Amino acid sequence: MKRFAVREHIPSILVATLGAMFGVSLLLGVGALTVLISADDVTGSSGTVAALLAVVAWVFIIIAIYVSAVVTSNTFATIIAGRTRTIALLRLIGASASDQRKAVAREGFIVGAIGAILGTILGTALVAGLMSTLVALDIVAALEFRYLDPVVLLPVVAVILTTWLASWVGSRRVLTVSPIQATGAAQEMTREETTARRSRNAVAIVLFASGIGLLLLGMVVGLVTQLGVLIGIVGGLLSFTGLVLGAHLVMPPALRLVGRAFGNSASAKLAAENAVRYPERSSRTTIGLVIGITLVTMFAVAISSFQTIIYGAQEADPAYYEGIDQMVLITVLVFSVLTGFSALIAAVGMVNNLSLSVLQRTRELGLLRALGFTAKQVRRMILAESAQLVAASVLVGLVLGIFYGWAGAQSLLGSINGNPGFVLPTVPLGLIGVIVVAAIVLTVAASTAPARRATRVAPVVALAVE
Amino acid sequence: MEITSTTPSLVSRVVNLSKSYGAADNAVSALSDVSIGIRRGEFTAIMGPSGSGKSTLMHIMAGLDSATSGQVWLGDTNITGLGDTELTVLRRRRVGFVFQSFNLVPTLDIRGNLMLPFELDGRRANSEEQGWIDHLIATLGLSARMTHRPHELSGGQQQRVAIARALATRPDLVFADEPTGNLDSRTSREVLTLLATASREYGQSIAMVTHDPIAASYADRILFIADGRVVEDRAKSSAEDISRFMLGMENVS
Repeated sequence: MKRFAVREHIPSILVATLGAMFGVSLLLGVGALTVLISADDVTGSSGTVAALLAVVAWVFIIIAIYVSAVVTSNTFATIIAGRTRTIALLRLIGASASDQRKAVAREGFIVGAIGAILGTILGTALVAGLMSTLVALDIVAALEFRYLDPVVLLPVVAVILTTWLASWVGSRRVLTVSPIQATGAAQEMTREETTARRSRNAVAIVLFASGIGLLLLGMVVGLVTQLGVLIGIVGGLLSFTGLVLGAHLVMPPALRLVGRAFGNSASAKLAAENAVRYPERSSRTTIGLVIGITLVTMFAVAISSFQTIIYGAQEADPAYYEGIDQMVLITVLVFSVLTGFSALIAAVGMVNNLSLSVLQRTRELGLLRALGFTAKQVRRMILAESAQLVAASVLVGLVLGIFYGWAGAQSLLGSINGNPGFVLPTVPLGLIGVIVVAAIVLTVAASTAPARRATRVAPVVALAVE
Repeated sequence: MEITSTTPSLVSRVVNLSKSYGAADNAVSALSDVSIGIRRGEFTAIMGPSGSGKSTLMHIMAGLDSATSGQVWLGDTNITGLGDTELTVLRRRRVGFVFQSFNLVPTLDIRGNLMLPFELDGRRANSEEQGWIDHLIATLGLSARMTHRPHELSGGQQQRVAIARALATRPDLVFADEPTGNLDSRTSREVLTLLATASREYGQSIAMVTHDPIAASYADRILFIADGRVVEDRAKSSAEDISRFMLGMENVS
């Protein structure tokens, strides 16, 4: 299949663009900041600050690219599910499965390249615009600064490669399409098949359990030495990998739990069933958002808990902690923006997935309309489905984020000057408010387009769709 | 046949119905000046070759599609100018559907599918309706299947569930669109017998669109459609007679 359906790939291009834009603007921003700092008398003498900034920037770029990759592989898997009939037909005529898959990966490469180019242009423009505004406002002095820094090629190449890889991973189902399916309907993995993959589940559970164990150990060790945080980081990485790997074990129960809260009307019931219909797909759809919300919450809770611990210590030793408040505030802001970006990418992925899966259900929606679902009921059903996906992600993300953030703060600062000991996690309510509002916006945004499309199609036309 | 809006024995009727697709200058006509009525309590087959307009006719009668010109009644309700929501509620309460395939909502179990028309109305079946549904379930041999999902059932069983759902609300009229199109001949016979029985024993009005003479031979009355017009209206006939007529129709045109 040589054709490249741009429409289908717009969301993936958008994700790649956002990822590349984030990487490019962050690296350029850090570059500009480094130039500014080296002009400063106090900090300029040591390269430590610049190196630290670069490390922080890269951590967030890697997170953003990782989230993009999860989102993109998910999008590709959904696109493939919708193309099953076409792929089967080509197989019937004589195309080999591996050729088919290579063709999909080629599309992924093109998507990544387009996104990377757009992202580079936008990211550079963003930093250039910001800098010239700052200079114009006399906030900073005009500085010698190269925008065509070769270092920005790194995130660009990373975006292309991960998008390519993500499309390859997402297209693995191509291999399982049999030519005979040209005569049947497209099917995703059912619940039974999903939970049956024992070895993957076992690995996920072991990783998660041992990671949580290490986190707890890190917190205990943290009471004695700050090195507890190193154990905690390993524990965090292990448990989070376990979670992503075992998303299909965590998300469907969360979705079911949330689904029950939506009441008993026909729309709500069908939405609840739809949300868990293909656990594989809904896990993929939501896990990106879970990662984003976990990260945002984790940093916010960690910093708020830092604050609590430090205040506790401050009372014991006031002179030692002067001027800490402002630093904490700035850190919260910067980290929220940086992690918020990953959450944004995940949100784009979710919007996209929901619209694709509604599109692929055209015929079913036609049946419901014929049987007496009003356009309003269909809209409400899609809205409820979107709300469930978002709410379940928020729920899981908040729980994880609060725990991770608390564990991080505790293991790092449990032993600092003043000896604060154990503190309970501090949850910044403002942040929860922002997340809830963002979640509501996302729910509506994700459901509007598919709901409009679903109700615009006449039932007769929908029923005739193969 | 003269049809007026007050003919009492007709459950559904169309008067001077025309339907065309596309813009005015290159419009394709699917139905031209069709006037027919479906009699209450009868099992009527609407026959015709592919592309004859029989499915379009059914869609318009069922409020799934709109007429280009002419009038459409369901019982005493003129549905010609109704809006989408009114048509939807009308379909929900007064019309039942059995399609060739994809009749059931895959995410709901059999009970969920059967109760869907009531749930869409935001209510539970009352005790009388529940009694009727239980009777249908028992008669159609679905009792052991209530908690299964559609994909766990054979094609014939799925079609029986669809028929039970269509009958559950005791609609004015059940529309069946090629209900045996996907079934083997033995299962087809079962499904057709079921429809004929529903009409005979429960007085259910049924309109079945088909191009299969054997299927049409189960009906009380057969309307033949060709090139967007009704060309013949005859009482119950054997499959041989129907086939002969169909072949004759081919030769004339």
